[in-house]
Amino acid sequence: MLPKFSHVRPSSLRQAVQQLASSGSHVHAGGTDLLGCLRDGVFGAEKIVSITGIGELRGINSREDGAVRIGALTTLSEVATSPLIAQNYALLAQAAAAAASPQLRNQGTIGGNLCQRPRCWYFRGDFQCLRKGGDTCFAINGENEFHCVFGGSRCYIVHPSDTAPALVALDARAHIRGPLGMRVVPLGSFFVLPALDLARENVLRSGEIITHISLPPLAPGSISSYRKVRARGSWDFALAGLALALKLTGRRVDWSRVVLSGVAPIPWRSSETEKVLLGRDLNPRTLREAADAATRGAEPLSQNGYKVELVRGIVEESLRAIMESHPETPSERT
Amino acid sequence: MTRNVAITVNGTERRASVEPRLLLVHFLRENAGLTGTHIGCETSLCGACTVLMDGRAVKSCTVLAVQADGRQVTTVEGLASGDQLHPIQEGFWEEHGLQCGFCTPGMIMCSHDLLGHNSNPSDGEIREALNGNICRCTGYQNIVAAVKNAARKMSKPIAARAGAR
Amino acid sequence: MKQTEISSERNSSTDAQNLEPWTNPTVVGKPLPRVDGYERVSGSAIYPADLILPDMLHAAILRCPHPHAIVKNLNTEAARKSPGVRAIVSSADPEGKLVIPYPWWVPEGPPVLLFDQHCRYQGEEVAALAADTPYQAYDALRLMKVEYEELSHLLHAQDALKPGQPLLHNTGNLVRRPDTYQRGDLAKGFGEADVLVEETYETSCEIHATVETHVAVARWEGEQLTVWVPTQAIYEEQKSLAATLRLPVSSVRVISQYVGGSFGCKAELSKHTLIAALLARKTRRPVKLALSREESFLCAGNRPPNVMCLKAGAKKDGSLTALEFTNLGAVGAYADWADAAGWAAGSYACPNIRTQDTEVYINAGKARAFRGPGAAQSAWALEQMIDMLADKIGMDPVEFRLKNVPATHPRTGEPYTSIELRECLLKGAEAFGWTKARVARASSSDPVKRGVGVASCRWITEGGPPTTVIVTLFPDGSATLNMAAADQGTGTKTIMAMVVAEELGIPLQKIHVEHADTGTTQYGKSGGGSHSVMVYAPAVRAAAADVKRQLLEIAAGELKRPAIELSLKDGKIVPVREPGQPKNLSELKDLTRREQIAGIGHPPPEPKGRLIASFGAQFAEVEVNVHTGEIRVIRLLACHDSGRVMNPLTHESQIFGGMVMGIGFALTEQRVLDDHQTGRMVNANWHDYKIPTAKDVPFDQLCLTIDPKDAECNSAGAKGVGEIGTVPTAPAIANAVYHATGIRVTQAPISPMQMLALLAARREAR
Repeated sequence: MLPKFSHVRPSSLRQAVQQLASSGSHVHAGGTDLLGCLRDGVFGAEKIVSITGIGELRGINSREDGAVRIGALTTLSEVATSPLIAQNYALLAQAAAAAASPQLRNQGTIGGNLCQRPRCWYFRGDFQCLRKGGDTCFAINGENEFHCVFGGSRCYIVHPSDTAPALVALDARAHIRGPLGMRVVPLGSFFVLPALDLARENVLRSGEIITHISLPPLAPGSISSYRKVRARGSWDFALAGLALALKLTGRRVDWSRVVLSGVAPIPWRSSETEKVLLGRDLNPRTLREAADAATRGAEPLSQNGYKVELVRGIVEESLRAIMESHPETPSERT
Repeated sequence: MTRNVAITVNGTERRASVEPRLLLVHFLRENAGLTGTHIGCETSLCGACTVLMDGRAVKSCTVLAVQADGRQVTTVEGLASGDQLHPIQEGFWEEHGLQCGFCTPGMIMCSHDLLGHNSNPSDGEIREALNGNICRCTGYQNIVAAVKNAARKMSKPIAARAGAR
Repeated sequence: MKQTEISSERNSSTDAQNLEPWTNPTVVGKPLPRVDGYERVSGSAIYPADLILPDMLHAAILRCPHPHAIVKNLNTEAARKSPGVRAIVSSADPEGKLVIPYPWWVPEGPPVLLFDQHCRYQGEEVAALAADTPYQAYDALRLMKVEYEELSHLLHAQDALKPGQPLLHNTGNLVRRPDTYQRGDLAKGFGEADVLVEETYETSCEIHATVETHVAVARWEGEQLTVWVPTQAIYEEQKSLAATLRLPVSSVRVISQYVGGSFGCKAELSKHTLIAALLARKTRRPVKLALSREESFLCAGNRPPNVMCLKAGAKKDGSLTALEFTNLGAVGAYADWADAAGWAAGSYACPNIRTQDTEVYINAGKARAFRGPGAAQSAWALEQMIDMLADKIGMDPVEFRLKNVPATHPRTGEPYTSIELRECLLKGAEAFGWTKARVARASSSDPVKRGVGVASCRWITEGGPPTTVIVTLFPDGSATLNMAAADQGTGTKTIMAMVVAEELGIPLQKIHVEHADTGTTQYGKSGGGSHSVMVYAPAVRAAAADVKRQLLEIAAGELKRPAIELSLKDGKIVPVREPGQPKNLSELKDLTRREQIAGIGHPPPEPKGRLIASFGAQFAEVEVNVHTGEIRVIRLLACHDSGRVMNPLTHESQIFGGMVMGIGFALTEQRVLDDHQTGRMVNANWHDYKIPTAKDVPFDQLCLTIDPKDAECNSAGAKGVGEIGTVPTAPAIANAVYHATGIRVTQAPISPMQMLALLAARREAR
């Protein structure tokens, strides 16, 4: 049963930001993550500030410069089924559709999906862990089969979002409103590793709200995909996932973004893999080298060594599918 | 600490003064006395508490009653007209898309959302749409058959359906 | 011709207890929708959690967060003063020392105190309270202060009997003396074998996870207690409550008309039910106590984890020569069953066998019977072992099983009333396209490998007395069936109404079922062990036959004809010699004067010197992605001999549901304890404990049946189906995974995580 809190529903961004200034305030959008956290005592709340009354936070529109704006309150269902998104950013539509379950996609918002708290079972459970102000990360010596293999230090969560790696791969930017006005943060710099800050997973400061996400146009002919591996067919977070965006000439990679989910405390962009791919033809050797690059530097814990195999597997598999669906690079161009 | 809400449940506006923390599912069950919406986990996982809010399926254990203020909520009790069950309800009954029946109202409401935007779903689409609802008894096979049964009936004019009954 | 008809009529009307199974039933065997379907699809069914009684309070339980601890101090003062709180019970009260009896199938065990200061499992009850609203109850719970002394904990069966481990009870960690069974000469059997295989298999602790959590509503009227509780066993709960509260049995009424799934976890008195009763007595107000999902994961039963070491030998011709099966199971913190090995002694015709079951305590929630208890774990090991032997001698796994089908029960030597295991294997294999599917393999470059697997199963069922049912017929041709059986979703109400309809020739719509209420229904066996149909169908049939006999006697008097010349068809009396002149029941003056006829029925005793068992074979096809470890079950086919199929809809649904539970057992379900640290369960929720969803089950599921026309098992000709459907699924999947990948996965579940680790290990070994 939920503990007590007060609830306000401001009708403007300015009011919302004011309401969030008091300590113990939390933003309430879809509520699918917030209410669970409050019920399970992951953190407490004096006041929850519903932002659902703020109309400007809704909707998906294309702008004149070719960019697309997604309001933070846009539900995951809306993102997953928007023709505009499907046509231009297949990766994002696939990632949104792979999140949670149908009802939760009707309720949960894109902004909330980026700001959701980790799913680490120690963090969510009745354990006073490091991230909750305790002095132990239980995952280090404990049940760490679902924890990170990259980017961990002191705390070994994985970032649970499916849309986050997609948005990082698409070079999206988060537009943030706070007490000091607006600021814009590329999604690639939005998330925070435990080494930098143990208490939060992103750069949002107290009182700040994501108002919308902007997506630059992808170069014509780009392709993108999201591959998610989970332990069961639905309503499950990624054991590992791959957000992939590529621009090809024939089979030659002109540009790529490779971002992994489920393996690090933040969406894990593998620049190493992108470097391997750049200017090379997709062929069995490139695939192997890309998979090697994607797994380089992994530091598995006692039970999650399989994630290294898995990353290798999905990188090879996704690239192979693209390779096989594209004609060989015309010889006159190589 | 309480807030006044006016929630239209199955077409009837219900006004109440509620604590902000009161979940919609508790509002429906305790305040409105509509116990067809079941609680299986209270953590947004099992889907037993699925209702329609403004026509879309939501898990009412993860919606505050204050969030539903001013909105239209439909529960399983709101589907039948008089003693004429809704075709989805008939489908679940006729195809034996249930055993213990505890998950059934949630399954029915989720199917309602699906058939609202896809009148002739494939097996795969049905399983996709219902994957946020756990059934521990049936193995889902007859639930899929039930949704197909309902889709067939709903694609026929109402008069023909009444005649078939 | 007519003579035969008349004599068969006489048989059924004069000797209600010794009826032959129907030869051409008109209602039984038809795919009829559930008689209680309306309330379940309309939302009007009132499950115990749905009860709203006037002035009702809501209770909540404070539970020990540690797997092993002593409660040093409990302070409830702040909670007592919290708004809305009406009563608290804890170890400080005399009621805290009440001892909960074990159910009849657990003959002995250490005493289970309601609030034991020595907490032996995470979630053990420490105190409870009742408040005006559920929110207030939980607010107050957060104000309770407990000081625990944490003790070192024991989580693994393998450690339980080692020196230096914590002792759960002063009797030690051994639940009971290990159960050993032996026949033949094991050493000789191994000596005769052409091939020997040894392997250790492990199963994980699986949680029942019914969608309805456990709940109880208790109300006192003077010294009369009424409890609404979802249960398979109203009389078991009544007896236990009466004994605990020192009340006459007749002062306790248990009602269980809607059960939101059970699978064995709702068949004995639980502490929360007693707590609801105590709080209701203290406050003199009705009390509802609904467990949360987390609580139900911790302390509402589970399928215990097993470690099973097997050694088996076979000759080149496929005959089993010897089997040694040693099982170690962990029942949790209090006595229950965690057996597995003994089941294997009856599965195949093997002359030399030794089985041993050892059961120990660990610091975790207690096991409860879980669909095919013991048999499912046993099959995980044995059915994989059989495949390993077949593989080693190069024989087809179906053929190997056919070679070893027993003629009689191998353990007792008793014949079965019917056994169609051979037919199940043959018919199933043919329908599945087994031979072709065994050969077809994906190309070696494709990372998605396909494979098929088979497993067979057996489940012993027992019907028989004591059980009493009453069928009442009214002059308007309607009838009431009164029986103790609950219907936890299996369709018992429907099937029993069909039996009445069959026997009395009245439409299903005119039969009302009054059931599962110790206040109004007669003693009946609990619905467990897959025996509901075997117990109740003969009893209901006997009661209906008793009604029919009385009715025909009345009709005989009025129509001035001998009763044997009258029959009952479509709710009318039909003279056998003048079938064109039926008489409505309402025209029988004697019947109208009597207002009703009540017939009483009991199940006849079990056939002597015969065993009753259901059999089956299941076939699975899987795809394993060797790059990602993902495993998809793409096809399941079951072929079962469960005797007569009373209703194909409910029968098939039992098999489908059982198979999907088997998918969970094989691939996703596992209680995870924080092994090296706190010992607490880390996945006590439905996200981290993964039950199959609609996307985890194959589109292609088929359920075939073989009716052996068993005239001996009982007057319905039906055997059990509730549990067997889940027994062979997991090993069939494991065998298919082996066929697809060449990797034998001995530890359940076969998660992608484990699959990837095994694939990597194999790569390294090469």
